[in-house]
Amino acid sequence: MSAAASSDLEQAPADSVAAGEPLPLSFTGRGAEYFGIWIVNLLLTVLTLGIYSAWAKVRRLQYFYRNTSLAGSAFDYHGSPVAILKGRLLALALLVLYNVSTQFAPLFGAVVFLALAAVFPWLLVRSLRFRAWNTSWRGLRFGFDGTDAGGYRVFLLWPLLTAISFYLLGPFWHQRMAAYQRNHARLGATRFSFHGEVGPFYGIYIAAGLIFLGVLVVSGMVAVPVLRGLAGDGEGAFRATLGQMTVLPLAVLGLAMLFVWSFVSARLQNLMWNHTRLGEHRFESRVRPLRLFAIIGTNFLAIVLTLGLFQPFAAVRVARYRLESVRVIAAGSLEEFTAGAQQAVAATGEEAAEMFDVDLTL
Amino acid sequence: MSAAPEVPAHYHDGRSARRFEVTLQVEDGVAHVTGEGVQRSAPLASLRISEPMGAAPRLITFADGAFCEVRDHAALARLLAATGHRDRAHVRWQFAPRAVALAVIGVALLALGIWRFALPLAAQWVAPSIPEAVGQELSAQVLEVLDAHLLGPSALPEPRTRDLAARFAAMPASEGAQIPHRVLFRDGRRLGANAFALPDGSIVVTDQLLALAADDDQVMAVLGHELGHVQERHGLRLVLQGSMVALFMTWYVGDVSTLLAAAPTVLIQARYSRDMEREADAWAARWLRANGLSPLLLSGMLERLEAAHRRAASEGGETGYLDSHPASGDRIRALREIP
Repeated sequence: MSAAASSDLEQAPADSVAAGEPLPLSFTGRGAEYFGIWIVNLLLTVLTLGIYSAWAKVRRLQYFYRNTSLAGSAFDYHGSPVAILKGRLLALALLVLYNVSTQFAPLFGAVVFLALAAVFPWLLVRSLRFRAWNTSWRGLRFGFDGTDAGGYRVFLLWPLLTAISFYLLGPFWHQRMAAYQRNHARLGATRFSFHGEVGPFYGIYIAAGLIFLGVLVVSGMVAVPVLRGLAGDGEGAFRATLGQMTVLPLAVLGLAMLFVWSFVSARLQNLMWNHTRLGEHRFESRVRPLRLFAIIGTNFLAIVLTLGLFQPFAAVRVARYRLESVRVIAAGSLEEFTAGAQQAVAATGEEAAEMFDVDLTL
Repeated sequence: MSAAPEVPAHYHDGRSARRFEVTLQVEDGVAHVTGEGVQRSAPLASLRISEPMGAAPRLITFADGAFCEVRDHAALARLLAATGHRDRAHVRWQFAPRAVALAVIGVALLALGIWRFALPLAAQWVAPSIPEAVGQELSAQVLEVLDAHLLGPSALPEPRTRDLAARFAAMPASEGAQIPHRVLFRDGRRLGANAFALPDGSIVVTDQLLALAADDDQVMAVLGHELGHVQERHGLRLVLQGSMVALFMTWYVGDVSTLLAAAPTVLIQARYSRDMEREADAWAARWLRANGLSPLLLSGMLERLEAAHRRAASEGGETGYLDSHPASGDRIRALREIP
């Protein structure tokens, strides 16, 4: 055995940890590496007119999952490209059907819309099941056993209530959705549970709205005098000023939206994980909104400047920050998870699972 | 044969999260996993060896789902080299700098080729099979938007427009499957002297264009050009190509924003039009000749449009980025060269 290898193994966190000791998620992906996977995926996808995109998705997720470790062991993704391809063809067909019918035959379009609304929650539940079942850690599969009735509540009833209430009930919807997804998820035979109340969801959305308004007011107070000064030069400067008048507010608006988005997604990630348990184990997430904004903002600029070639680096940067912000507060040994009864059943009936499971997440 | 290389690994049985420290060896094509409480052997050919992914562990999986997680990549590489295992080609490419650079160039060339050649051909091939109702609905919507925001009712006396429309209708189009057409007269407002065709065969002419034309023959030439757009189904082809480009861009930069996806799509669409303008010119030239008129009428009209355009530009007026008739100089030359 080589010396390098043995020191590698010693560095990996031991898993017979004392209760309460935090175990960080670690991420070992690198932008330059993922760029190779990404560009080969892109080439083969274009060459096959999109067919390869399903295989590309599997390799992308495998790269990210296998580079993510908890207690020295990696996660893995097992999705079948054929199932993903079926899901994508289905999603594309629904999208085309919806777009064409609403464009050219509004009445028929309305019927199609209702039919889609009726089918969509059912599909989403299957998609959640597919995603969970195809994720594993230490050989134990995750699972999702939410009922269809629950799916219709969070993917149809709550969106309707949210729309009817002019989004005032939006945070309720979000909380119900989080609870549905996590309370029905498991790792092997061990269940996840969600303990977040509605209050903090309202807190995040209200704060986001106030921040957005604040940014707009402040930037307006700065921008208006500046623009007025520029416009004061008279007719000659008209064209230049016209450009600035449209570009400047758009840039400010874009930055404000990017910041609010970073804020909401950082706070939501923290809220979700800090109120999630796996058996008796807890999680701790500490994503800082400003740090996330810095990463996403620079990513955005770099992607524009490189005509998209920076995308794989950007994805790795965001994944590293988000993942390494999460720690597991173990209540005992992580070795004690066992496979559920369903694992054995589904492992033999895998083909049937692939027949009926679709993956809608593009 | 020298001593078989040993690879340190973690073994997982798939039944619990317990991690077994093991070593992996291969002797005579059979893999042996040995460690505290684990003793397994299986032919190497029956194991699934995951592809290398940088620092990520490689997984060597037994038929029943149990697997070894290997993080010592150097040792595993020596072991696999000794057994003659070879990764698939595209897996080797993605970590070889030269292959990655070639892939970047390949993607760029391929995208360019598809966008420039394959997509227009595909759209041309598909367009005739799109139901007429689609073109009609699309045209009605476009006309509604134009009438609401950009065009006004024509100020021309009704007999004049009726005469023009009647003369145009009386000129038969000699070739191809015919799409019925009609002429609509509008005040061009900011669009100025302009004419354009909608997929359902509606041809819109502005008062300003009629005023600019030297005579009615030149107006007929412009109408013929627009009829060429209609008969070649340029409108639908544009929509088809545009939506394919939009679909690709959404997928390519989907993570960033749909705003970014929309911008290049619009810019790219302006490029399609030039080939189509040439096609419509050629169609109009044939049509003019079949009706006893000279194709030079169209080039004469184009010259007038270009002069008006230059005049407007030098006066600092609106020139418009979305010029529907670009590269007039080339087109005038091409029309003159038509035998």
